Amino acid sequence: MNNPSDTSVAKADSFPHIQRTMTADGVCVLTFDRPDSSANVFDRATLAELDRHLNLLEQDAGLKGLVLTSAKKSIFVAGADLHSLADASLDELRDLIEFGQKVFNRLAALPVPTVAAIHGAAMGGGCELALACDWRVASTARETKIGLPETQLGLLPAWGGSTRLPRLLGLPKALELILSGKVLAGQSALRCGLVDVLAPKEHLLAVALLRIARGKPHRRALWYFNNWLVADLLDLKLHRDLKRRTHGHYPAVFKALEVVLESVSSTEIESFAAERDAFLELARGEASHNLVRLFLQTERAKKSSGPDAVPVQRTAVIGAGVMGAGIAQWFAARGLPVVLRDIGPEQVSRGMATIAKLFAEGQKRHACTATEARAGLDRIQPATSEASLANVDFVIEAAVEKMELKKQIFQRLADESGPNTILATNTSALSISELATATSAPGRVVGFHFFNPVHRMQLVEVVVGRQTSLEVVQRAMRFARQIGKLPVRVADRPGFLVNRVLMPYLVEAGRLFEEGARVEDIDAAMIEFGMPMGPLRLVDEVGVDVAQHVTRTLADAFGDRISTPKVLGWMIEKGALGRKAGAGFYTHNGKSITTNLTAHDFPTTFEAARLTRPELQWRMVLLMLNETARCVEEQVVETAEDADFAMVMGTGFAPFRGGPLRYVDHVGAEFVVAEMNRLVGLGLKRFAPCDLLRRLAASGEKFYRKEEEHEQHEKRTA
Amino acid sequence: MNRDRLVIVDGIRTPFCRMGTDLAALGADDLGRVAVNALLTRTGLDPAVVDEVIFGCVGQPAEAANLARIIALRAGIPQHVPAVTVHRNCASGLESLTQAYERMVAGRGEIFIVGGAESMSNLPLLYTPTAARKFAKLNRAKTLGQRVSAMAAFRPADFNPRVGLMLGLTDPVCGLNMGQTAELLAREFRVSREEQDAFALESHRRASLAREKLAEEICPVFVSGKSVVTADNGPRAEQTSEQLARLKAVFERAHGTVTAGNASQITDGAVALLVMSEAAAQRFGRKPLGALIGYAYAGCDPSRMGLGPLFALAQTEARYGFKLSDADLVELNEAFAAQALAVLKGAESAEFARSALRRETPLGHVPREKLNVNGGSIALGHPVGATGARLVLTSLKELERRQARRAVATLCVGGGQGAAVWLERIL
Repeated sequence: MNNPSDTSVAKADSFPHIQRTMTADGVCVLTFDRPDSSANVFDRATLAELDRHLNLLEQDAGLKGLVLTSAKKSIFVAGADLHSLADASLDELRDLIEFGQKVFNRLAALPVPTVAAIHGAAMGGGCELALACDWRVASTARETKIGLPETQLGLLPAWGGSTRLPRLLGLPKALELILSGKVLAGQSALRCGLVDVLAPKEHLLAVALLRIARGKPHRRALWYFNNWLVADLLDLKLHRDLKRRTHGHYPAVFKALEVVLESVSSTEIESFAAERDAFLELARGEASHNLVRLFLQTERAKKSSGPDAVPVQRTAVIGAGVMGAGIAQWFAARGLPVVLRDIGPEQVSRGMATIAKLFAEGQKRHACTATEARAGLDRIQPATSEASLANVDFVIEAAVEKMELKKQIFQRLADESGPNTILATNTSALSISELATATSAPGRVVGFHFFNPVHRMQLVEVVVGRQTSLEVVQRAMRFARQIGKLPVRVADRPGFLVNRVLMPYLVEAGRLFEEGARVEDIDAAMIEFGMPMGPLRLVDEVGVDVAQHVTRTLADAFGDRISTPKVLGWMIEKGALGRKAGAGFYTHNGKSITTNLTAHDFPTTFEAARLTRPELQWRMVLLMLNETARCVEEQVVETAEDADFAMVMGTGFAPFRGGPLRYVDHVGAEFVVAEMNRLVGLGLKRFAPCDLLRRLAASGEKFYRKEEEHEQHEKRTA
Repeated sequence: MNRDRLVIVDGIRTPFCRMGTDLAALGADDLGRVAVNALLTRTGLDPAVVDEVIFGCVGQPAEAANLARIIALRAGIPQHVPAVTVHRNCASGLESLTQAYERMVAGRGEIFIVGGAESMSNLPLLYTPTAARKFAKLNRAKTLGQRVSAMAAFRPADFNPRVGLMLGLTDPVCGLNMGQTAELLAREFRVSREEQDAFALESHRRASLAREKLAEEICPVFVSGKSVVTADNGPRAEQTSEQLARLKAVFERAHGTVTAGNASQITDGAVALLVMSEAAAQRFGRKPLGALIGYAYAGCDPSRMGLGPLFALAQTEARYGFKLSDADLVELNEAFAAQALAVLKGAESAEFARSALRRETPLGHVPREKLNVNGGSIALGHPVGATGARLVLTSLKELERRQARRAVATLCVGGGQGAAVWLERIL
């Protein structure tokens, strides 16, 4: 039988994850400190340890209170261990959920006051742990972030969060947080009542102990929010909103809505059971698998492999146009000094105007403060002529897409820069290898392709030229991570990966329009599939002339698969260049977008006029799938995983589908190939399936194999 | 003690623009930052090796205390480099240079960034002391009654601001503003209105002709991304003597001769110079523009502050033996045409030499071909804290063009001082 009063410190070796100390006043402090990790996560072992601590605490008659805190620098508890979640069987999941609920319920039932002292990230399970305490105090540091982002992984909070949060904050606020997965900083959390008081991190423990001295809280039941009438109203409104926004592709938000609304009319036990059932149902689905996998991939992509090298410290951007300015602003916002060069002061001035606007928008979005914005602007050194590049580590060129011009620029860059300077280009269409031949340092030339807009798109294609040195490739990949982007290595082929896959898809959209399908139907079909915007709208955003230019470049390389739609040339003649000209396929009036009547004036045939939306969708999707498979076949990217990741990150390809090749595995390669052959049979030669797809269809193999995934996972985190 | 010479490795300045025009939206810290940034980019110097940043500024912004430090940090100079702001009125730009020299001699560093920055557009408007007291009382009022009575104490006159610019240009000891001291000199040295206007016209003419030459010392300024300013907007190529003659005297209505046209313009601008000990410059591997070979600051009568240069030049001759005739170029700051002409007359006057300078021979005659050859502050403007550094930069650049040897830059200083700095081109 334990004698709690003389055990002031529990044996360290029996509690590896959670250390326990007692204050002189009889308050127990449990500190989460996962060994060999910079984060705290909840795996079954940690839950079991907490369970055992609770055993001791429940029997401790002299206990005056409990404080939960973390020893990590920037993480309180980051939630459930997603790796084990991804590999768990349904039974294991059920066990994990029920166990977690049980442990948190025991915590909530402790007769003494309990406080969660939060410094750093408290997300998902970490937030639920805090919700099971009586009080929550948080630090004022930037690292402190609290929220329930489970729905973004296609799941929902199932360790009591969906029940406790509405009781604490009221239905409207709780739903807002759970459905959006929004994560709150200290101030916002205080304002909405998620935390009770803020304090500097050095005083956190002292403030927590003061709270304990106050005893248990007397929180009023929020009956005016948490009643069936409000629940019904919210249900009506939110259901409609969610349907419109998600097109039914994200079952998690609907399930979360259901569970949270029900919670106000049921007991806690009933609600916890509902959480568990909903979670298990969602975990069975493809969407949640794909979203969790995507999240883990993103985390992996952020980690550096290889020896720690000196980070890039000084950069230069050549070309102050839309992309150049966006890239320069991104670098500056990440703390890097940037020399911004263009051919004349007018061009540089326009670039600076774009950058100032981006910082102002960032301020409005609360992505940065006014002081940070000004410091970022200060880091940009506009230069029109000879600015010394000898000290610059990384130069990226984002000027006009003309090979001769770029060759001249790079010739100069190679001579002006130091022997270790990386010479990168943001080109989306020209060959890195050819560009490199024009310089005296071809090993230093690499492609570094951002996506538009730079501040929102996380993907960077790192293009390896024929002569690019391995060291430069590695440094470029590391640099991408250093600035918070996700790099994917691609080979130096026309269109690299993303643009190459997009092209047949956009061309098909144009062709369907030429054959009589309506603009609204074409775009709606793809939005319903899960793309963030329709193909014709995308053409408008990119610019009809840009789209035509890229199409032509790729058509040169890929001939019969990609041909330039005539409607583009027709629109360019009419000046309907898309958003930048005010009208393209759509008329752009500030924020409002309506279909452009002019586009309807293009003489069309009628073969596609009678196609239904699913049929339209299938045509465009098949070409994307085919092209992605070709890219893997031709080793434009190393693995199917890279291809899928790049497509999701670079185009917003339906993340819940996991990517084009994951989707092929899901519907079956035989089905895909059969469909393509059917269209070929109708005379549409462009739908001929590539060899890789045909092979998979014949053998029944998939792009992804379970064991292969494990291997890759081990390799990457080594 | 470091007996090395101090050399000026390179320098750059922003365009000089009249107050309230192209650069008005930028504070002195913004202007200084642009100049220092441009200097660092141009020279490729690693900012971590700078030993100190010294900047002159007269109208030091309340929101940028120790302007030099703010400029240094915002220009990307690392935190470990100290910075100090200096103020010797119109000679602050020179003061920053000579202080760097003195630090070097004292063994306190070898590499400095010096210069001056001034935003005269942004000089504050101040409440009168009476009004300030009433505001303080209002601030302290706690109850509604106290607040109401504090507010009722204000009178319309309390809201009449004191104009910082006007205050700064008035010497409290002798009670005259700068323009009035110039009028005094005009009377005593018999400088006529016509002479002043002709001098002003010449300044504009020379500055306009020198536009391309001056462009070599200027870096572009991007104004909150709206437009880019690349040139001085002070010089008027089409200025005529008729236009100048039409202007009314500003400081003495009845019989005055000093007008807005023959006085220096009130202007925004910044200058940054990279200076090093000669040894450090050799290690750096760039041929410097020139070396500082002598300087002096001298005090004189505040009500005749315009004569300051004469006193300073007398001192440099006494200390180093440099005669005015040794200078291939003379940059004499044109605070007012009347003042500059009075200085030229005083330099030639044996009477003045004996009575005021206590020397036998006059300082000497300055031929117009050597004087302010590319225009002066009447055309280019006089951002008070920065001008001294501009004179150094512009004279070194011109020495190089002419392959000449020595130049002297000299200014009169409000409050009754003169400053003179002698420079020598490095062959």
